[in-house]
Amino acid sequence: MKIMVAVKRVIDYNVKIRVKNDETGVETANVKMSMNPFDEIAIEEGVRLAEAGTAEELVAVSMGGDGTQETIRTALAMGADRGIHVASDEALEPLAVAKLLKALADKESPDLIILGKQAIDDDSNQTGQMLAALLGWSQGTFASKLEFDGGHVSVTREIDGGLETLRLAMPAVITTDLRLNTPRYASLPNIMKAKKKTIDQMSPEDLGVDVTPRLTTLKVVEPAKREAGVMVETVEELLDKLKNEAKVI
Amino acid sequence: MLHLTEEQIAVRDTFARFTDAEIIPAAEAIDEAHEYPKAMVKRLADLGFVGMRYPEEAGGSGVDLVTCCLALEEVARGSMSVAACVTMQALMGTKFLEMLGNDDIRERLFKPALALDKIGAICMTEPDAGSDLASISTRAVETDGGYILNGAKTWVTSAPVADFFTVFARAGDEDKLTIFLVEKDFGGLVIGRPIEKMGVWALPTSEVAFNDCFVPASHRLSAEIGDGEEHLRKLLSEIRIATAVLGVGIARAALDEAVRYAGERKQFGKPINRFQAVQMRLADMATDLEAARHISYHAAQLLDAGAPHRKEASMAKLFATEAAARVCDNAARIFASYGYAMEYPVQRFLRDVRFTLIGGGTSDILKLVIAKELSV
Repeated sequence: MKIMVAVKRVIDYNVKIRVKNDETGVETANVKMSMNPFDEIAIEEGVRLAEAGTAEELVAVSMGGDGTQETIRTALAMGADRGIHVASDEALEPLAVAKLLKALADKESPDLIILGKQAIDDDSNQTGQMLAALLGWSQGTFASKLEFDGGHVSVTREIDGGLETLRLAMPAVITTDLRLNTPRYASLPNIMKAKKKTIDQMSPEDLGVDVTPRLTTLKVVEPAKREAGVMVETVEELLDKLKNEAKVI
Repeated sequence: MLHLTEEQIAVRDTFARFTDAEIIPAAEAIDEAHEYPKAMVKRLADLGFVGMRYPEEAGGSGVDLVTCCLALEEVARGSMSVAACVTMQALMGTKFLEMLGNDDIRERLFKPALALDKIGAICMTEPDAGSDLASISTRAVETDGGYILNGAKTWVTSAPVADFFTVFARAGDEDKLTIFLVEKDFGGLVIGRPIEKMGVWALPTSEVAFNDCFVPASHRLSAEIGDGEEHLRKLLSEIRIATAVLGVGIARAALDEAVRYAGERKQFGKPINRFQAVQMRLADMATDLEAARHISYHAAQLLDAGAPHRKEASMAKLFATEAAARVCDNAARIFASYGYAMEYPVQRFLRDVRFTLIGGGTSDILKLVIAKELSV
C-alpha cells in the first residue's frame, strides 16, 4: 500500500495570535510556525502503518511559500520516505488545495490519502471532503481508529452520538481526529536522516491547477474584549439578570 | 543574531516540545525522589541526545556544538537534574570510551551507553584536588597484565548508578595524568554514600575509592602514558560552554515564571507588573538572559568553526552562569514569600543554578584563565 499524507504549515499553537493593524489578516512575520497538529497525527498514522508493514511507501506533501519545505522536512524526520512541495505564494483556499492534492494523487496513485481533519489556522474543515469528492473516492472523516483488511479500511469516527464505524473500499481519503494516535517526537538521528531524503518541487502550473482565490477576505479583527463579570448577591438577583438583562430565560 | 539552520531549528523544536510536555510536569517529582531519573534520561537517549556529538559511524548524529547547546538549553529549562544527568552521560561519561576505547569497550560499554542501557561516570576531582589538577594523587602502578589503582575521588556524578568509570590517575616514571577505565564489578572499587547537596537532587554524586583495584592493560584508555591532561584540556572548553548554556536554560525558566507571576499577583489593587520597580527587575533579568545567550552561543560557534575559543568559552561560562544566578535570585524576589516556599519552582531554580557556578571551573578560576589569555 502506498500512502500520501498532506501537511500544512500553520502558526504554532503556542503562539498568541496578533491581528495585523490594517485588518487584512494575522501577523505571520517572525512568528513561530509548525506543522498543523492534526497533520502530525496523519503522519504518525502513516509511519505506524509503514512500521507495521501495512504500507510500503509514505509520501508527505504540502503547498505554500518558502517555509513549507521545513514542515515537509519535519514529516520526513518523523518517518515519511519522501516529500513533494507545491510552491505557491498565493493564499491557497481549501478548494485549490483539494485540486492540487487531486493532481498529485493522479500522479502518485496512492491507495490511501490521510489529512488532518482541519487546520488550526482557518479551521475550514473542507479539504479532505472536497478531495474525496474530486477523486470520487470513499471518505472517512474524523477518524479515531483505522483497521485494514484486504482492499478495505474500517474507520471508527467520532460523531455527536458516539462512535460510528464505516467500512470503506480503497482507495480512500481519511481525515484524522485527535484521538487517533499520539505523534512521536522526531529523534536526532531521524532529523539528520531527513536531510538526505528528497523533496520534489513543482508549481500549481506544472500540475495544471488554477489556484486563483475565489473568496475575498473583507477584514480580520480581534475578538471583542470580554467584559469583567459581575458578582451577584442572591439567587433572586441572578434570576432577575438572566430574565431582564441577558434575556435568556 | 544567531542564525540557525533548518536542522538546528528542528532539533531545538523536538527538545522544546519534549521539555514542555514531558519534563516540566515531572520535574518536581523527579527532584523529590532524589534518584537518578533513569526513565526520563532514557527517553532523551532514545531521541538521540547522548549520541548527539559522536559521529554517525559510532552510532551518533554528529551535530555541531551549537545544535547540542540548543537541545541542552531546552532540557535545562525543564529540569537541571535531568539536564545534568544527560550532559554528564553525553559529554563526559562516554567521551573517552568513544575517543580512545578498543573495539570491545566500544561495543560492550559505549554503544549501550548511547541508549542509556549503561551509565558512565568520570572520576577527576579528589578531596584535595579540585581546580588544582596538579594535586591529583590517585596512582596507577604497572603490574603483570595491567595496573593497580589506588586513591580516592569525590564529586563523582552518577557514581551510585554508574556501570563504568573514566579515571584520571598518575602513572609512569614521570607520574603524569593518564586515563583508565574501571568497570563497576572490578575488585577494589568502592562507591561511597551519595553526597547530600542543596540542589540538582536527582543527580546522585558520591565519593569513589580505589583500593588495590586491578585494571587490565586493555582498559588503559590513554594511548600514551601521561596524555591525560592534554585530552582534558581539549574537553574543557566544550564542558564550559555546555555549562554556560545550562545556565541560560534555567534563567529562561526563571524569567518565564517571574513574568507570568508578575502578571497574576495583585497588590495595591493591580497586578504587580504595573509597578515600575517590578518592571525594572524584569528588564534587568531579560537583558542578563539575552547577553548570557549571546556570549554562550558565540563561544559555541567559535568552537564549531575551529577558531581559538579558550578565552571565550571561559568568558561564556563565567558570564552566563553568574547572570543566570542573578536572574534566578531576581525571580525569587518577584515571588517574595512564595519564592521562598517549596510549592513554587522558583526555589528549585535558585538552588539548582548554583550547580552551574561550580562545574567546569568556578567563576574565580575562570577569571584566572581569562587573565592568562590576556597575557597578564
